[in-house]
Order: sequence, then structure tokens, then C-alpha cells
Amino acid sequence: MAVFDTPEEAFGVLRPVCVQLTKTQTVENVERLQARLQAVSDSALQELQQYILFPLRFTLKTPGPKRERLIQSVVECITFVLSSTCIREQDLLQELFSELSACLYSPGSRKPAAVSEELKLAVIRGLSTLMHSAYGDILLTFYEPSILPRLGFAVSLLLGLAEQEKSKEIKMAALTCLQVLLFQCDCQDHPRALDELQQKQLGDLFASFLPGLSTTLTRVITADFKQGHRIVLSSLKVFYETVSFIMADDQLGRVSEVPARPAVERRVAELMVHREANWVKNTGDKLTILIKKITECISVHPHWKVRLELIDFVEALLLKCSRSLIESAGPLLKALVSLVNDESPDVQAQCDKALRRFADEKVVVGSRAFADVLSENLHSLATSLPRLMSSQDDQGRFSTLSLLLGYLKLLGPKVDFVLNSVAHLQRLSKALIQVLELDVADVKIVEERRWNSEHLSTSPETPAARPWAQMQRRYFRFFTDERVFLLLRQVCQLLGFYGDLYLLVDHFMELYHESVVYRKQAAMILNELVVGAAGLGVENLHEKHTPADPEELREIVTSILEVYTSQENWYLVTCVETEDVGEELTMKWAGLQALTSGVHTCQPTSSPAFSKPSPTVCSMNSNIWQICIQLEGIGHFAHALGKDFRLLLMSALYPVLEKAGDQTLLISQAAIGTMTDICQACGYDSLQHLINENSDYLVNGISLNLRHLSLHPHTPKVLEVMLQNSDASLLPLVADVVQDVLATLDQIYDKRAATFVSVLHALMAALAQWFPDAGHLGQLQEQSIGEEGSPWSQRPSSLEKGLENPTTAEDIEQFVLNYLKEKDVAAGNVSDLDNEDEEQTDLPEVEKDDTGPHVEPPLPVQIQIATDVMERCIHLMSDKSLKIRLKADSLPAEPQGKPSSHVTTVAMESVSTGIRSTYPSSNPDSVPHVTWSRSVYLFEHLLVHL
Amino acid sequence: MAAPTPPPPDPQFVLRGAHSAVHALHFCAGAEGHPLLLSGSLRGLVHIWSLQTRRPLAALDGHGGQCVTWLHTLPRGPQLLSQGRDLQLCVWDLAEGRNAVVDAVRLESMGFCRASILADGPQRWMVAVPGRGNDEVQVLELPSKTLVSCLKPEAGARLGMPMCLQLWQAASSSRPSLLAGYEDGSLALWDVSTRKVCSRVACHSEPVMGLALDPWRARGVSGSAEKALAVWSLEGQQALQVRGTHELTNPGIADVKIRPDSKILATAGWDHRVRVFQWRTMRPLAVLAFHSATIHCVAFDTAGLLAAGSGDQRISVWSLYPPT
Repeated sequence: MAVFDTPEEAFGVLRPVCVQLTKTQTVENVERLQARLQAVSDSALQELQQYILFPLRFTLKTPGPKRERLIQSVVECITFVLSSTCIREQDLLQELFSELSACLYSPGSRKPAAVSEELKLAVIRGLSTLMHSAYGDILLTFYEPSILPRLGFAVSLLLGLAEQEKSKEIKMAALTCLQVLLFQCDCQDHPRALDELQQKQLGDLFASFLPGLSTTLTRVITADFKQGHRIVLSSLKVFYETVSFIMADDQLGRVSEVPARPAVERRVAELMVHREANWVKNTGDKLTILIKKITECISVHPHWKVRLELIDFVEALLLKCSRSLIESAGPLLKALVSLVNDESPDVQAQCDKALRRFADEKVVVGSRAFADVLSENLHSLATSLPRLMSSQDDQGRFSTLSLLLGYLKLLGPKVDFVLNSVAHLQRLSKALIQVLELDVADVKIVEERRWNSEHLSTSPETPAARPWAQMQRRYFRFFTDERVFLLLRQVCQLLGFYGDLYLLVDHFMELYHESVVYRKQAAMILNELVVGAAGLGVENLHEKHTPADPEELREIVTSILEVYTSQENWYLVTCVETEDVGEELTMKWAGLQALTSGVHTCQPTSSPAFSKPSPTVCSMNSNIWQICIQLEGIGHFAHALGKDFRLLLMSALYPVLEKAGDQTLLISQAAIGTMTDICQACGYDSLQHLINENSDYLVNGISLNLRHLSLHPHTPKVLEVMLQNSDASLLPLVADVVQDVLATLDQIYDKRAATFVSVLHALMAALAQWFPDAGHLGQLQEQSIGEEGSPWSQRPSSLEKGLENPTTAEDIEQFVLNYLKEKDVAAGNVSDLDNEDEEQTDLPEVEKDDTGPHVEPPLPVQIQIATDVMERCIHLMSDKSLKIRLKADSLPAEPQGKPSSHVTTVAMESVSTGIRSTYPSSNPDSVPHVTWSRSVYLFEHLLVHL
Repeated sequence: MAAPTPPPPDPQFVLRGAHSAVHALHFCAGAEGHPLLLSGSLRGLVHIWSLQTRRPLAALDGHGGQCVTWLHTLPRGPQLLSQGRDLQLCVWDLAEGRNAVVDAVRLESMGFCRASILADGPQRWMVAVPGRGNDEVQVLELPSKTLVSCLKPEAGARLGMPMCLQLWQAASSSRPSLLAGYEDGSLALWDVSTRKVCSRVACHSEPVMGLALDPWRARGVSGSAEKALAVWSLEGQQALQVRGTHELTNPGIADVKIRPDSKILATAGWDHRVRVFQWRTMRPLAVLAFHSATIHCVAFDTAGLLAAGSGDQRISVWSLYPPT
């Protein structure tokens, strides 16, 4: 609505009001002037600037008391004029600046006058507008040393307003105005690029305000959270912009030792600061105190934008003042890294970016001093970590550990340099060990049992994206939050990634061996170290750092594996042995219950279990966890090595499989998890596939361990599991190991027969499954030969020969006749057996074949095995233990689902011969009644299934 | 409490899958430096085992199902010599995964006597094999297959068949020598170039089944079907002299080998056991019981591993007294 475009026209309109205002200074007149001004174009206004300002300034300068309302409207009017015009003269700028700032203080006092809030706001805005309306070079000349007193006055005025005012609006306006005054305004009009000389001039000038500015702003920042985040935000911004400007390394580097004599009067010269080394040192020290206060307060500020600003704060100070504020680097870095895991994703992202920037620019890696500060921080944090972990709540622990993680991330490859110091490594490792202490008092761990041995699931569960990240739930002494544990794992992984793996593994191995108290934690840490070293799950900030060499990693894993699976670390007491005889068992159960009641008093960190005659629940729990952790570690190792782990299967698979059959639920679960891990890592489709492909390694372990059965009582279990999960292509291997089994069984009939019988049971079941009958056998044969991948596809020719030779039915017939005869003789003794009817109906089904061969060729391997097994079973049927007898009985009954099984038929023959030879029919009375009836029962059982 | 006696040593691992009795063993370095073990079986197959994966890499079938009695890799190039009871000495090319017979030498004798090889130059080898007739030994040059000499005992010596051979050449001498154990239990030292017996001693009363020579000490050991080992020495490369005999618990030694570092000695026993002695003193160190059938052969590799092949179709590999 610019009506008056030319200065002449505008002058004509404005002159009367200006004259009027000069004569009588009232609010109305000022308002009238302002109303007229609205209708004047900017260019005309510029021409008439001085003229219009005159009455206004005159009003302000008129001595005597004035009404606030008037001053306010005058200031507003000036502001209006300035907002539309430029100031082209330095004098005008200086004068206006003084006049405006003078509006706010009472003469004679240095304190802001008690004026209305509206006036304060108007003046602040006026000042701000004034600074914006000044021409670029005019503005720069404004900042000459002589202005120092007046500028200082304005700055302290604004600071006072920002600190003490109640109104948020005024506070904000004051802070914004400060930014403008201190050359931090980010608006377009302001000249931004200053040359070195200008920077130095400004820096020298502003340095005088630094003490007041920084302390006041710190007070504002650290005041009540309730004051509103925008005020804190602006204050932070002013603080770091100012400090990073005055303390900038670039500027300070150019400050000469001898102060230049500025051409100003003495009074002003005294106010000037010369930023020489000593001053920098002192100021730096003082700032450190303030910075520490600020970072401590702000890193827990509830508003995320404030925390976001803190990142800029840290970044600005660290990047620009890394030398002058070296003392503050500690708290600054601490503030930064503590935000790594901030709850706000924006803050996290920004923090991550900042960390990356530090890493990229080699702020830490490139500077010894920074690394020193960080490692110092790390050390003191590690020192206080156990105390913090036990005293803080989960949230506190979370942030403490985030901090630790952040330090490690930032140090990156320099971690190595820190860990090379024995003191640092010791501190850190002890802290981790203490924090990771498990709570082993839970009785359930020992109680939960796996009674029946189910088959291993056919295929691993759907592969997770990060399989190494899954694990069993643990209970720790010092924390319950899963996130805390996750952080601890990340810490260990980072250590493994950046640190010298040999050094770390050595160190934690030492701790592992040192005491049983440390063992579980050390194992957990070792597991994560390896995962980290392989680069799994580690977010690399330092691009040049590459994960460990696979060959080295394999060596390290091999050595850890050796320790894990060694006799003293793998075979721990995890339960009160249940395979002992009955009375002892009940007694021990009672003992266990007694222990259960006393659980609360027992120390979780008791002495090693294996050295004690009767293990406590706690020590058994501890052992269970140790085995689980080690199992889990093996799974991790598999993921870390990938297909390379296949080479380690020869030593790892056997122990894992052994634990898969453990009676303790947790252990067997962990072992099956480990096998699933191995399957995924080494590229096997299923657990069966894994076992089948590596049966040769298993057989090796089984056969060697059978030689020391007392040391490896669970060996037969492994064979059992292997048999359940393999196919006919393994027959030669099975035949080989069965000989070992039977030889061992022959030596220890009394003690551990029960375990062996279940193996034999599994063996018979497997044979029956592999060789359903003669017809299918040929097919199967071809199939398994076709399997190129299997090293066992070559078969002994005896097997093939056996195939051509079907059951000798004639023999069976002969035997059945004999049997009936014997049965008649023994009739008095076996009257309680009542399945004769069934038997009768079955008998005619036996086919007669007169053309059968009379000369017996060698038996096929599987039948030979079956025969050998049956012969053993006959002895076992007279065993004292009911358990064994029952198992021995059920052996041949296994192939129930497969009638007319080839194997069973021939096996039956062998049993029959066994019966005949063991219990001569001529004298049935000499045979113990029970055993005899059992044998006959067994035989009849076989007949039923023929 | 007294410390329990250590359990008897176990094999480091056992190789299964030869599917028949193992009659010959030989260690060699494979590609990429991974050690290999070669085994020859009763059914005529040569298995190549990777000691890294402990699995067979390949099975070579070149002896028509007849027992493979001796295996040796040529010092240069990945070539393998295998001697079978099908009267063939086959030369295999194993380079770059090839498994092919590239050459074969027709043998004259069917006996159990194992061949012996001596590297004459980088491209020339000398092989001693049992020759025509009952008591002859032929020395051939490879790869030309020319007959270097034919060593036949003088008439009336009645040595019987040669049972084991060892070609060697002393560092001080330019002339190769041959040690041969005979059916009558005597040991003869032949000068290959002059075709004369330099020395002969009767060490055993039964056929000599195996012998091993330690060229550094100029001493050797032999085993026979009887219950004793004989230790003998070569005086000035010329005269054989029995130094002593060592009594064993059970009769029958199928093979003897001295570890390349000359520290220990291993014997393959018909009693299913491998016996280990300290070679210098002949002090018994260990009796390795694992196999369930006669042990036919033993072999050492340069790193100190010991392998034993047995009639129970298994090959046991032991790591004992690792060389320092």
C-alpha cells in the first residue's frame, strides 16, 4: 500500500507529523507518525531516514522523566523505520545502539531498570533490528575496540534479561539478540564469511565477555528443566558458538606473544584481553568446569531436541577447539558417547553421524592426546563400572554401558593401544567379569529334566537374520534388563573386533583357568570376542579396519575349543547320578531336597564342584551354566568361521552331540541349539544331514572313548543319537564301531549294561529301518551308491553277496519244529504264557521252500550285526536289573511296523540258536524259570512279527 | 593319594573306510602343504587320505584287485609308485588332481617282498624289486626302466626268497648299496655296481619280515617271524655285524620303521600291537594297543606322526613323543 513513492511526496506527508512530534512528545503523535510511515515506500523511507529518526531520537534524549508507554512506542517506531531501511553511517549506528540500550537501565545503576516487559521486548527487538539494518562494512567497523564498553554493557544487559526475566518471550528475544550481537545470527542479511583478520579482531573483542557470558549461560542452561527447551537450546547455541569462536585453535594459533597496542584510550585498553597461552590455559580450565556442568545436566535432559543440540555442542567444541579445550575433551566425549543409545532415534542417528565424523577425520585416531583422554575415561569408567552396576537401576546401568560402548566405538583401532597397557586391560576385564556374574541359585536349573530322548527335529528352525544373537535367557546377579546384557555383549564384540585378538583371548583364557568364579563370565566374553573378531554384528565406524584373518581366527577358535571340550571343563557334575542302584537313588533324592531348602544361604561362588564329594545345587547350577555357555560358544564359533568350521567338526561334533543327550533340559537345549547353529553355518540342511555327513568323525570319537568308558560314560548315548540320525550308507562304519561296542560290553556286563542295551536297541531299530526287506534293499543299495557326496558309498562286497541270499526258510522251519518239541517238554514251566493261539495261527504262514541252499554263504553285514547283538541280548535277559531285562526284551520287538522284516527273520534264527545252545532241551529243569520263560516269550514275540 | 597311572595312549585319530586290510602306508605332502597319507589295501585300492579332514580324497584302482604291498612318492613331482601282487609296479601321476597310471613295470616275482627306492639324481631313480627266480633281486633305473643290475646269491647259499629290501647310498660313497633280508633269516649287504655280497649275517632263525636303516649311525634293525628284533651295524659301509637282539613278548614283526629324526623306532606286530622303542638305546617306550587284527605296516611322517595299518581295515594315526 505504498502510496508515496517519491521522497518528495513522502516528505510532504511526513513533515507535519514530525514537526508535531518534535513539539509535543506524546504516544499519540508517535503513533500518528508510524501510521503515516506505513504508507511510504521503502526507497522513499531510506531517503528520509535521518529526518524521520530525528524527532524520535529527540524524544528519547529529552531529559526528564518519561512515561514508559511513550518510550515503548518510540522504540517500536524506530524499529519499524530500521526494518525497512539501511544504516549507512557508522556514527548513526553507534549512537542508535547507545540510545536504544540506554532505554533499559536506570541512570546511575548498572542493573536493568524495572520497566515493563513490553518495553524490554521492544528495546531488544529494536537492537536486533538495528544490527540487521547496518551495512556489512559499517557493521564491521562498529566492532572496533572503542565500542567495547558499550557493547559489553549491552551484552550484560541481554544476559541479565535472559537469566532473570520471567517471560519466555523476553528470554528468547534476549538470546536471539545476543546471537546477533555476537555475529552468530544465521539470517541471510548478515555477513558470514570473515577473513582471518576480522576474525581475530572480533575474537579479541568478544574474549572480554567470555567469563560473564559463559557463566551466565551455564546458569541458564542448567536451570530448571521446566523453563522450556527452546531457551536451553538457544543458550547452548550461543555458548558453543561463542566459545568455539573465541577459543578456536585456528585463531589462537595466530595470536602473537606480545599484545598489539590498540589505539584506544587507557580505560578501554584495560578491558581488552590478550589471548596468549596463559590466558588460554586459565580460560580453558574454567570453561572445563562449566562444560562439565552443562554436559552432565543436558545429557539427561528430557527433551530430545536439547540432547540433539548437545551433539552439535560437542562437535563444535571438539572440532574447533581440540587443543585449547583439551581438558574438556573428557566430559565432551562422555556426553557424546552416552547418547549413542539414546531413546530418540533422531538423537541416535545424529550421534552416530558425529561419531563417524570423528572417526573419519581421525580426530581420535590421528591425535595422541585425544586417544589419551579417551583411554583415561575408559579406565576410570572401568574402575567404577562394578560399583555403578551394583548401585544403579537398570536405566542407569544401561546408560553407563552405553557410555562404555561409545568409548570403544570412538577409540576404534586405538582400543588395541589402550589394551596393550596391562593396567587398562586388567581393569576392564575384571569389570566385565564382575558385571557378568550369573545368578546360579535357581533350583529349577538342576530340576528341569529331559526324561525321554526325543528325536532331533528334522530341520533347523527358520534361520534367523542374526543367528549368533540368539541365546538362552540368563539371570545375572547385577541386572535383569535384557538390554543391559545386549550392551555388554556388544562391548565384548567391539573389543574382539578392534582389539588384538591373541592378547584378549590369552588374557581371558588366563582368567578362565584362574578361578571357577570367573570361568563362566570369561567363557561368555570369549564367545563374544570371537563373534566380534569375525565382524559379525559389529558396526564399523572406522572404515579402514578389517576383520581378523580367517586363518588366524580358526587357530584361535581351535585353541578355545580345545579348552572348552577338555575333560575337566566339559564333564562337570550337573546332576546327582541317577544311574546308580535304587536305594542309593532315593537316598540321594532326599539329600537333594534337603539342599533345595537351604538354597538361600548358599554362596553362588562356591568352590569347584568336582573337587567336592557331594555337589551343592549351586555348584551344579554353575556347572550347567558353564556347559551351556560353552555350547553356545561353539555355536558362535561356527557362525564366526562359516564353512571353515567344518574342519573343526572332527573335534567339536562329538562333544556337542554328547551333550544333546544330556538329562539336564538346559544343557540338551543348548546343545541342540549349537547343532542348529553348526548346520546353518556349515551349510547342512538338517541335523540329520550334519550327523550323517560327519559320522566318521563321530565314530572316531566313539571308538576312542569306548576305550576309557569310565571317563566317558556317555559314549554309548552318542552312538545312539548317531544311529537314530543316519542312514544305510553308513553301514560299514556302523559295523566297524559295533564291534567296538560289543567288545566293550563284553567287558562290563555288570555296571553299565543298561546304557549299552539302549544303544543296541537303537541299532536294531536302525537296521530294521534301513533294510525293510530284501525287495527294497536293492533299491536302497543303488540309491546310496548314487550318493556321490558320501565318502561311505563304497560298500564291501559281502553286503552285495548277502543280498542275493534270501532267508533260509528251511532253517526256520526246522527250528520251529524243534521249538515246538522243546516247548512241549517245558510245558509245565511255561503254562503262564497264553499266546499259543496266536502262535498257532501264525505258524502256517511260514512258507516252505525245499530248494533252499544247503551251504550257507557268509551273512550280509547287517544280519551279522543283528546276530551278534542278539547273542549278547540272550545273556542280558538273565540280568538282575529289571530295567535291563525289559530293554533287552524289547530289542527284537522293535521292527513291529515292518512285518516279515528280513533282518528280524535272520536275527530270530540267531536267537533261536542262542536259546538252544544256552538252555539244552534235554534238561530244561536246570534253567532258571524266569529266564527260560523270558527267552521263550522273546522268541514267540518274534514269531508274531515274522 | 598317589597320582593315577596315565591311561594307555590313544590314537590321535583313526581312518576308516579302506574296506579291506591295509598293507602299505606312506606319508607325503599334498597340494598347499596339507599332509596326505596313502594307503594300499588287500583289495588292490590305493586310498589317498587328507590328514586335514581325515577323509579319503580318492581311491586309485590299478592293481586288478590284488594286494598293494608298497607305496612311495617320487621325490620330485607328484608321482606315486605302487607295487601290487598283480606283478605290476605302477607309476601314477597325481598332479592337479589327476589319478592316472602313466607307466608300469612288470615284476617277475609274486612274493611279499617290498620294493625300495633310491633317488639317484633329480630326474633319475633306482628301484630294487624282487627279481626272477626265487632268490634274485633286480635293480632298475626309472623312468627308463633299464635293468641296472641283477643280484643273485651264489649257488648253494640257500638264502631263500628276498623278504625285504633297502637301497641306500652312503654320503661318502658314490656306489649304491642294497640291504636285503632273506627267507632263511639272514641279512645280506650287496654292492649294487659290482653285484657282489659284501657281507652277510644270520640275524634271525625265521624269515626277515622288515628292516630299517639309520644311515647316520650306520645302524639298522630288523624284525622277523620270531620273537626278537635284531640290531646290527655296518662297519665302514662294508661289514655287517649284529649288535644285539631284543626280545619281544609275542612273535611276529611285519614291519619296522625308524622316525626320520632317528629318535624312535616303531614295529608292526602280528599280536595286533605297535611297539615303540627309543632307537638309540632300544628301551621300550610304549605298546600301542588299538587294532583288533595283525598290523601289516607302520609309517612315520616328517612331522613325527605315526600311522599303523592293520588287518582290521583301520589305519590308526598316533602322535607320540613329538619331535622337538
